[in-house]
Amino acid sequence: MNKLFSAIKLFYHKLGSYPWFYSISSKFLPISSVLALMIFGIGIVWGIFYSPSDATQGEIYRIIYMHVPAASVAQSIYFALATAGFVYIVWKMKMAGLFIKAMAPIGASFTLLALISGAIWGQPTWGTWWVWDARLTSTLVLLLFYLAIIGLYSSFDNKKSADQAVSILAMVGAINLPIIKKSVDWWNTLHQPSSIRVFEESSISSEMLYPLLVCILAFYLLVFVFGLMAIRAEIAKREMNKEWFKKIIIKND
Amino acid sequence: MIFLKSFFSREVLIYSKKSSNVISPVIFFLICIAFFPLAVSNDPNELSKLAPGLIWICILLAGMLSIQTIFKEDYDDGSLDLFYVRGFSMLEVVLVKIFVNWIFTALPLILLSCSMVFLLYFPVDKLFNLIGSLFLGTLIISFFGALAGALSLGKNSILASAIMLPLSLPVLILGSSASTYSNENITFFILLLSALLFFSVPIISLACVGAIRLHYE
Repeated sequence: MNKLFSAIKLFYHKLGSYPWFYSISSKFLPISSVLALMIFGIGIVWGIFYSPSDATQGEIYRIIYMHVPAASVAQSIYFALATAGFVYIVWKMKMAGLFIKAMAPIGASFTLLALISGAIWGQPTWGTWWVWDARLTSTLVLLLFYLAIIGLYSSFDNKKSADQAVSILAMVGAINLPIIKKSVDWWNTLHQPSSIRVFEESSISSEMLYPLLVCILAFYLLVFVFGLMAIRAEIAKREMNKEWFKKIIIKND
Repeated sequence: MIFLKSFFSREVLIYSKKSSNVISPVIFFLICIAFFPLAVSNDPNELSKLAPGLIWICILLAGMLSIQTIFKEDYDDGSLDLFYVRGFSMLEVVLVKIFVNWIFTALPLILLSCSMVFLLYFPVDKLFNLIGSLFLGTLIISFFGALAGALSLGKNSILASAIMLPLSLPVLILGSSASTYSNENITFFILLLSALLFFSVPIISLACVGAIRLHYE
């Protein structure tokens, strides 16, 4: 038990070092990107060509293979940002601040993807592009939080204070998000009876569920790859003039 | 304790000497309210239906304008640096500043929103619900606004609004619901608002202290 704990501690300390992360991620990147693209291809092809069409919605339901994974990833990334913010505030690990900076635009793009694909799905099935439904509203607020983090970061010249500021905001936002979600639920249920259900996950048949799960896995892998690439780019930007970075560049040439 | 008292009287003195701090949110609030009948409709029935939401949105916007600059003057003239360097408790500084700002900018707006019974035909029997929810809600909004102001010290004010408005969404929802629904539901929303207040006071004020500190690192 003690050994495991010290191994985790060692890994944590290594994770905080830019050169270590840069070299280890260059080994992971090719494998994981091939894996992510493969699983993404399998999931999408399975979902679009080999799963049955829905009894009520016909073929249009197939956008679920984009929409649900994007929405799930969007929320998970925010949770990851808040965790990184906590790590940065408590232990001042500089990698955590960089992680927030690198991941926030990715999270914002997936939230936007979830909103847009939801609108495209909603048009033929509900007859409108947008409903002020609880789930839609809280996703919109999630996008606003991402944009606020990106905007706050870009307003600082000093990277260190920028990291600290976005860490505070990410944490406070994460505390607030469940409250927003809950209050939007109350507001919604009191305003109108829930006539629209976004989707019925429990009643989904296994022939549709398996490709969906593959797609969700593929999206998480894609986020992993995108995240590695963004973090590496951000490390390169910050450590441009450091010795270790120049050495790597020269070696690769 | 002595520090708390003298700091409180300093803040009160600043606000009472500079009347524009108190008057401009009031003017803004009244103009905002006056624009809604002009832009939407002057039908009393429609207006009385919209009134709780309109009052809450205008209060939120007026509060946003006044609370965001709460640390700005002290930051610009260097007194905040001095408080920080002298080792005063920043938590006390933050709490006193927010509270005094609330007294001088939010309280007049709350009193003024009583007049919405005449201006927006707000139903009289729900006036107590509105005032009660405004008391709690404006305090919570002040805390979120102070955090946004502290994070964006020395930056443009649009950024502070972009941070503050999504954070204060639950207050808007709960507050306008409390002043819309009948008296049976009111305790539910008032209790939720007070829970939110007690929850956010310690967390947000600590976050505020952290946000001020990052400008001096």
